[in-house]
Amino acid sequence: MNDGHARMTDGGGHSAAHSCPLEAATEVTARRRFLSSTTGGFIGALGLASLLNRNSGAASQPAQRHRPLAVRMPHFAPRAKRVICLFMLGGPSQFELLDHKPRLNALHGTPVPADLVRGDQFAFIKGTPNLAGSSFRFAQHGQSGAEISELLPHLSTVADDLAIVRSMHTEEFNHDPAVMFYNTGSAFTGRPAMGAWLTYGLGSESEELPGFVVLASGEPEGPPVGFHHWTSGFLPTAHQGVRFRGDGDPVLFLSNPPGVTRRTRRQTIAALRDLNQIQQEHIGDPEIGARIAAFELAFRMQTSVPELTDLGRESATTLRQYGAEVGHSSFANNCLLARRLVERGVRFVQLYHRHWDHHGFNDKDQNVLHALPQRCREIDQPAAALIKDLKQRGMLDETLVIWGGEFGRTPMVQQAPTPTRLGRDHHPGAFSIWLAGGGIRPGTLGRTDELGYQIAEDGVHIHDLHATLLHLLGLDHTALVHRHQGRDFRLTDVAGHVVEKLLG
Amino acid sequence: MRPWFILLIGIPVSCATPAAETRAAAPSGSASRTHWAYQAARRPQLPEIDQPTRVANPVDSFVLARLRHGQRTFNPPALPAVRLRRVTLDLIGLPPSLDEIDSFLADQRPDAWSRVVDRLLASPAYGEHWGRYWLDLARYADTNGYNIDVRRPIWPYRDWVINALNTDLPFDQFTVEQIAGDLLPAATRAQRIATGFHRNTMINQEGGVDPEADRVKTIVDRANTTATVWLGTTLACSHCHDHVYDPFTQREFFAFYAFFNQTTDVAGGVPNSSLEPLLRVPSPEQQVEWDRLRSALANLADGQTAAREKLRQAETALLESVPSTMVLKERSQRRITQVHLRGDIGNPGEIVTPAVPAALHPFPAAVGKSGPPNRLDLARWLVAGDNPLTGRVTVNRYWQRFFGTGLVATSDDFGKRGQSPSHPALLDWLAREFVDAGWRVKATHRLIATSRTYQQATHRPHQGENQTPVRSSQQDSPLAGPWLDRGPRFRLAPETIRDLALAASGLLNQQIGGPSVYPLQPAGFWLEFGTRGFDMEKWPTSAAAERSRRGVYTFWRRTTVYPAFAIFDAPSREHCTVRRPRSNTPLQALSTLNDPAFLRCAAALGLRAIEADHPSQSDRIVFAFRLCLSRRPQPTELARLVTFYEQQLDHYRSHHSDADKLITAAGLSPVIQIDRSEWAAWTILASLLLNLDETITKG
Repeated sequence: MNDGHARMTDGGGHSAAHSCPLEAATEVTARRRFLSSTTGGFIGALGLASLLNRNSGAASQPAQRHRPLAVRMPHFAPRAKRVICLFMLGGPSQFELLDHKPRLNALHGTPVPADLVRGDQFAFIKGTPNLAGSSFRFAQHGQSGAEISELLPHLSTVADDLAIVRSMHTEEFNHDPAVMFYNTGSAFTGRPAMGAWLTYGLGSESEELPGFVVLASGEPEGPPVGFHHWTSGFLPTAHQGVRFRGDGDPVLFLSNPPGVTRRTRRQTIAALRDLNQIQQEHIGDPEIGARIAAFELAFRMQTSVPELTDLGRESATTLRQYGAEVGHSSFANNCLLARRLVERGVRFVQLYHRHWDHHGFNDKDQNVLHALPQRCREIDQPAAALIKDLKQRGMLDETLVIWGGEFGRTPMVQQAPTPTRLGRDHHPGAFSIWLAGGGIRPGTLGRTDELGYQIAEDGVHIHDLHATLLHLLGLDHTALVHRHQGRDFRLTDVAGHVVEKLLG
Repeated sequence: MRPWFILLIGIPVSCATPAAETRAAAPSGSASRTHWAYQAARRPQLPEIDQPTRVANPVDSFVLARLRHGQRTFNPPALPAVRLRRVTLDLIGLPPSLDEIDSFLADQRPDAWSRVVDRLLASPAYGEHWGRYWLDLARYADTNGYNIDVRRPIWPYRDWVINALNTDLPFDQFTVEQIAGDLLPAATRAQRIATGFHRNTMINQEGGVDPEADRVKTIVDRANTTATVWLGTTLACSHCHDHVYDPFTQREFFAFYAFFNQTTDVAGGVPNSSLEPLLRVPSPEQQVEWDRLRSALANLADGQTAAREKLRQAETALLESVPSTMVLKERSQRRITQVHLRGDIGNPGEIVTPAVPAALHPFPAAVGKSGPPNRLDLARWLVAGDNPLTGRVTVNRYWQRFFGTGLVATSDDFGKRGQSPSHPALLDWLAREFVDAGWRVKATHRLIATSRTYQQATHRPHQGENQTPVRSSQQDSPLAGPWLDRGPRFRLAPETIRDLALAASGLLNQQIGGPSVYPLQPAGFWLEFGTRGFDMEKWPTSAAAERSRRGVYTFWRRTTVYPAFAIFDAPSREHCTVRRPRSNTPLQALSTLNDPAFLRCAAALGLRAIEADHPSQSDRIVFAFRLCLSRRPQPTELARLVTFYEQQLDHYRSHHSDADKLITAAGLSPVIQIDRSEWAAWTILASLLLNLDETITKG
C-alpha cells in the first residue's frame, strides 16, 4: 500500500477542508503568549521580534508553516483538551479484568460450541478448544456497581469515574496490524496516528514540548512497537509522536556533550543567531528565521525537559500514591510523568506498557494465571492514582484517559491448561477497555454474549472510539481531513460513529 | 466473528465526496482520458526569446518565456563558490574540496561550468547520492518491517543501484532489470540482483500471521509502487473499488496486480523461508575460488571419493561466507488471480489475467500471442516510447531533486487530482529529450545543472511589488506554480548533512558498497521498544573507520530508523516515498549540536583547522568556514566568529577539565601534541559552523 509515500507538505499541512475563522486570531494570541513567556530569556527580544514581524499580517501561511503546533480552534466546544492513552501492549484478557462471565465460568473445561467459532480464524488456535472461565473473582464497586475483578483493587476505588466498554471490537488479530489499527485506524502503514491527528487538528498548548509524547515501560518482551505506531503518516512530521526515553536523555541528544557548559551553549546559540541573521537579511528566506527559533527552543528545552522529567520535584505523598520511584523507569513513573506533561499543555501522551500477550506457552511470563496478575500489579495503582491526582487538581474533566490494548483474548484456552497455567489466543471480536474524565459518562457500556465471544449489544468499533475521542476534543471526525494523493483522508477512514452513550 | 480482513466497506465516503470545490470536476468516462498526463508528450517548439544570450540551453528558453509573460526575469547567477557548492551537493551529495573550489574560481575558460558538471557526473559519489533517492522509491531497508523487524540480506541490491547510476545504465534498461531482470533471456547475476527492487516489500513475522494474507499485501505493494514510481498514478485507490477520479477500475487494478502475482516468494510467519529466493553474490575473489573448486570437482575421476569429499567441504565452507541477496523468481505453475471484492482477500471475485489499464497506451500487438503477458512485457511497456507517463514522471522527479519541488508539485500524483505542471511545455520537452535520446539519466541531469535557471542566486529578486513569495522548502503555493526566478534553496537531507560533516572534517571514508554499517547511535535505542530473542537487541556499533561511511550505507531498520536521520524526516522505508517532508524542529538542533557522531566531526574539523598551514587564527577560521560553506566569510561574519572563538578559548584556558572532558568525549586521538584548550575551543567553533543554517542547506 503506498498511501504514505509522499506527505502533503504544502502550507504547513492544513488543507482547506479544516479551516476556521478563529484560527488567525488564535494564532496571534498564541504567538503573543509565546513572546511574553520567552522575552525574559537570555536571547532577548530581537530574534523573536523579527519572527513576529515577519509572521504578522496576512502572511499566515509561513506562520503556520513555521509553527505547525500553534493552537487552533476546534470545530465546536470541546469537553476534553488533552488525552492520556494507557496502552497495554499484547492484548489484556477481558475475562480476568472487566468482562464478568458467570456462564463461561460454569462451562469451564467444556468444548466451545462449534457453531460459535465456525469459519473464524485465529492466530494460534486450531480445532475446537475448550472454554476457560476466569480464575479471578469479580465484585461490584462504587455507586454504579461496576463489575471489576480482584486483580484491579485500586481501579475499583475509582469505579464511579470509569466508563467501562465491554463491547470493543477491531479488525486485526495479529499484534502489529492491530496496534496500527488502534493507533491509526488502518492496518496499513502510512496513516497518521491519532496523536498526530489531534495536534494537526488542535495544535498544542505547549511551546517547549512536543504535542505528542510517547513513553514506554515494562520488560522488553512480547510484542514490540515502533515508529509506525506514533507516525505522522502523510501529515507534516511536526505532528509525529516524540518518544521520551526511560534511560539516558529523555529526549534524544538533549544533554550537552561533556565539557560544554550552559554558558558555552548559550554563546553558541547567540552566535548562530547572529550569523544566521546575516544570511537571512541577505537571502530573505523565512526558513532561516524558523531555524533561529528552533535553536532557541532547543536551548530552552534543555532546561524545561529535565525539569519536567525530574519526579523528585513531586511530594513524597504523590510519589507514594502512584508507587513511583525517582530514578526508576516504570509504568508508575510514566503515569506521573504523563500528568506533568499534560499539565504543561501536551496534547496527547501515550504510555505503552509491555508484555500483556498471555498465550500460555509457559508457566511464567506467558501465563494468564501468573503474568497477568503481575502486569496488573504494575499498572493498577498508578492508573488509579493518575485519575485521583487529575481529579484533585481539577484536570480530570478536561483530560481524557483511555486504557486498553490492541484486542482481547479468546474465551477458549489456547494451550492445554494445567492447574498452574492458562493461555488465551488473540481475539479481535470482543474486548474491554475503560475511559475516564474528559467529558465521558461513567458507567458500563455494551454487552457480550454469555461466553464473551461475540458482541450482544452496543458494539464499539475502533473507528467509533476514534470518532468519539475526536468529538470529545471538539473535532468532527468527518471534517478533520487531510488531502493526500488527491484524496481526503480521515482518522476514521470511511466509517465511525460518535458513541452518544459514552458522552457525559 | 467478523471477516478478519475487511479493509474498506463499500466506496469510501471520503473518496466519493471530495471537498466541494472539486466535486464538480470529478471525471466521468472518457473525459478523464483526455487528462493531460494521459496524452502522449509531444516535443514542443522552443519559445522565441528576445535575448538569446540569457539562455544557456532550452530549459532556460521555457523558463524565461514564462518569466517574460509575468514581466519578470532571471535573478543574477549565484556567486561562483556558492554555485559550485550547490551543484556538487546536488550531483554527488558532498561539498566541494578547497582545491576544487580554487581551481573552479581560477578557471576562466568559457566552459568551466560544464567541465565541473561533467567531472561530478563522472564521480563514483554520484551513484551513491542519486542511488539514495532511488532507494526511497524502492523502499530499500535492511530489515523485514512490522514489529519484529529482523535483518534481511538485500544490500547487494543497493550496490546494484549505485553501480547502475554510476555506469549511466539507460533508464529503460534500469527499469526492465529491476522489474523483470530474472525473465531476461540469459539473465546475468546483476540483472537478477536488480529484481531486489520488488523484494523490498515488508514481511510480518509475528506468530499467527496468515502467510497468504501477508503475501497478498506484498503483491499489492508491488503493484502500487510500480504505478507510483513509473506512472505517477494513485492506482492504490482502485484496490478496493473503482478509482473515483482517475480512469482505473478495480478489475484493472487486479489485472495489473496479476503481473506480480506469479513469483515464488512467500511472506508472513516463517522467518527464513520468507527470505527466499536468495541469490549468492560472491566477490570476484570468491568467484575465482568457487570456479576453481567446481572445475576441480568436475575433473575428478570416478572413485576419488576422498578428494571429492574434501572439495565438497571446501565448497560448502566457501559458500557459507558468500553473501546472498533477495531476488524475484517466476513460478512454473501460474497462479490464478481473482479480484478481491472490497479489497478483502476472503471475498474473491472475477478471475483476471494480466493486463494494463485501458486508459493508458496499449501493449504492442505481439504481446500476449504466446500466453498471457508477464512481468517482462509489463517492464517493457513501462518504458515504451509511447508511454505518456514514465518520461514525464521521471524527469519531474529529477527536477524535484534539484529544485525542491517538481514542475508537477505532486510528483507522486499525475492524475486528475494532482496539480497541473507549472511549466507544461518544459516538462514535455524534458520528457521527450529524455526518452528520445535513449533514457540517458546523466545527460538529463546535465541539462538541468547547466541551465541558467539552475545557477541563479537564491536571494529575493527585487523587482516590483508582485514578487514571488520566498521559494523554499514546502511553501510553494499549491495553486501558483513557481516562477523559477531564483535559485533553489532548501534544507539538505539527513544523509547529506551527515556526509557533509564527515567530508568537511576529513573523516569521510569513501569506500563504496558492501554490507550496511552501524555508525554511533545512543545506547539502548533498539531494545527500549523492541523485543528480545531475534538478535536485534543491540545496535552493533561498527569499528571506527566504518562509522565514517556515507549515510547511504547506514543500516536501515524500519521500526527504529537511525535517529539522526529520522529526526530530519528520513522515511521509514516501509513503503515507497516520492517526496520527503522537510521539517525544521528543535529536535534537529539538538541532534546536530549534541549527537556524539556530530561532536566527533566537530573535533576533527577543529583539529584539521589547527593543523592547517595558515599563519593567523582568522585564516584558520576562513579555512574551516570554506570547508563547510565553500564561500569566504564576509567581514562581519568573520569578526563574529573570531570573537566567538576567543570567548571559547578563554573559557577552556581557564577550565582545563572542561577541555579534557570535551576532547575525551569526541574520541579522537591526534597524531601531534596539541593544546587541549585550543582544540576544545576549536571544537566548539567547528560545531557552530556545522550547525549554521547555510551549512545544512543547499542554496
